[in-house]
Amino acid sequence: MGTDRSDQPASPPTPRTTVVLLSLAVAVVLGDAGVVTLALPEILRDFGAQVWGVAWVLIAFNLVLALVAVPAARLCVRGDPAVSTASGIIGFAAATTVCAVAPSLGVLIAARAAQAVGGALVIVGSLELLVAATGVERGGVRRWAVAGVAGAALGPVVGGLLTSAFSWRAIFVVQIPIVLLAFPAAIALRGQVVQRRQPTLDTSPDRPHLLANLALALLSAALTAALFLLVLLIVDGWSRSPAVAAVAVSAVPVAALAAGPVFRGVRAGTRSEAVAGSVLIAGGLTGLALLPGSALVWTLAPQVLIGLGLGLSVDSLTAAALRDRIPRAVHGGWTIAARHAGVVVGLAILTPIFTADLRHAQTPAEEAIARLVLDAPLPASTKFDLAEQLGRRLSTERGRVPDLRPAFTALRVPATQAPAVAALERGLEDQLKRAATRAFRTSFVVAAVLALLALGPALALRDRYRS
Amino acid sequence: MRRLALPLIAVVLVVAVLGVQVAAGGGHYVPLSPANPCTPRPVPAIPAQLEPLAEQIVLLGLDSAACRLGISRERFVLALAETRSLDPRQSAALKAGLVDAVDRLDREGRLPKVSQLLPQALDQANLPGIVKTIIEAIPDSVVDNLLPTAPLLRGAVGELDINRLLHELNDPRQLNSALQSAILQAAQRQILDRLHP
Repeated sequence: MGTDRSDQPASPPTPRTTVVLLSLAVAVVLGDAGVVTLALPEILRDFGAQVWGVAWVLIAFNLVLALVAVPAARLCVRGDPAVSTASGIIGFAAATTVCAVAPSLGVLIAARAAQAVGGALVIVGSLELLVAATGVERGGVRRWAVAGVAGAALGPVVGGLLTSAFSWRAIFVVQIPIVLLAFPAAIALRGQVVQRRQPTLDTSPDRPHLLANLALALLSAALTAALFLLVLLIVDGWSRSPAVAAVAVSAVPVAALAAGPVFRGVRAGTRSEAVAGSVLIAGGLTGLALLPGSALVWTLAPQVLIGLGLGLSVDSLTAAALRDRIPRAVHGGWTIAARHAGVVVGLAILTPIFTADLRHAQTPAEEAIARLVLDAPLPASTKFDLAEQLGRRLSTERGRVPDLRPAFTALRVPATQAPAVAALERGLEDQLKRAATRAFRTSFVVAAVLALLALGPALALRDRYRS
Repeated sequence: MRRLALPLIAVVLVVAVLGVQVAAGGGHYVPLSPANPCTPRPVPAIPAQLEPLAEQIVLLGLDSAACRLGISRERFVLALAETRSLDPRQSAALKAGLVDAVDRLDREGRLPKVSQLLPQALDQANLPGIVKTIIEAIPDSVVDNLLPTAPLLRGAVGELDINRLLHELNDPRQLNSALQSAILQAAQRQILDRLHP
């Protein structure tokens, strides 16, 4: 009987592979915070739920992650971080499998909560493992922070593309092998984590960095708006496909990744970067509140501001929150808890505002539609027929932006009236887009205020120049 | 100074982006608001046909009724479409509004003569052939003298049962029949008034 190669132990991953696989796992788990954002309309349709119910698919993950991040980190540092990370990977993969096959909204929300528990172990454990794998404290922390920022920024884009190409379930199917690939990397680092205290300016290094974590929470709440509300506006308000929305909102991650090189010459420490980041994010959100039209191009400049702000502030604040503090995993847990608590607070504040505004937008939208139909250069009989169809569309889609196309498809008019009917259809669609854009304005303004509030803790930070 | 550079750059970028957006109409991208129903809206040229004339009278009448009720024309129409009935106050406002519309078109000399509308009206009317032939034989000047347009339309508005009309909005035949009946009754009353002053 010959020797089966699969019986032989696999060779341990090289440190570079280990770093890449662990970074990918961190990016996937943190990307999960917003990965379903673009899939929400499809999930909403699949399960016949309401916006508030579907928002729990996002909220459950972020809420549980915020609650368990610090306990998971304490558990992690009590034993070997490699073992807890590996356990987290298995738990996360199992919960993700349930998400992929969830038969109901309740099961999906419960599985999302379970995902967060496994994910918390993966994230905080990976912080220790990345430092061990790179052998450099600052380098490991930076890779962990950048992986988190990239995951959070790219999550909605990847989720949107997968939803568009396959279905929302594909979002979860794709995550399973990527996370499982990190399992051998984690196991390979068993017994290699060392906690070293470095010379520090802080007198109480074990206390969480309140200011940095508070700023992270406020900025995360604001960033939730940027991604969650913007994709809802593009998909539901402007009737664009999730794929188009995914490409449109990719301006945020691209700008976030470009922030480092763009501002390399003028970076001057945590406080300066956090202040500039807060200003940019608040400005970008104000720009989204002041859109002059529904062309996607109008969202680009505000998104670039938000992305630059994200790239400048989040990894800088994360590094500040972790600098010279041990155990690293626990302080990493605090930053995760702060960020995801911010996401939950952002969703809790903004979801009721924009759903109420969307309901209130119905009256002006109906009045604008009535005005255009009454004044259209069409015979009264055609207007009667159209009004009948439009009335049906508006009453069946209360609380959502209605699709008026079926009303026009059902209309039978002579060829001479076709141009006026087509112009009216365009006019009505424009009015709906205007109403939807107006309905999101208050939420974007509130989110901008949250970003501006982050200026308080950011200004109070003790500044340190980057080396 | 170096510490201020980045925040200053951020402020400049934000001001530039917001400036461009506001200059392009940001903040004013909102749905069309209803026009003030008390402000007379311009009336396009009305062809001498029944349907365009009726439509203009209804549109102007809705404005005037909404103005009397203190709401927008659009809100009034949406309420009509939803409830398909009017309370006595709304019904009176709508009738008064329709009369206002006839008065305005009359003042502006936009009402066609009855003789211009008659051929189309006879085509659609459910009258015996012999009656149509007799009416067609009457000279236009006699028709126009006997039935001036404005008083005829005012009379027809008075004959209208608004709530019945609203219930028949979905049935064009019933709607036409109700309108024709109101015009016919108004015409009969007007002719009788002329013959027996």
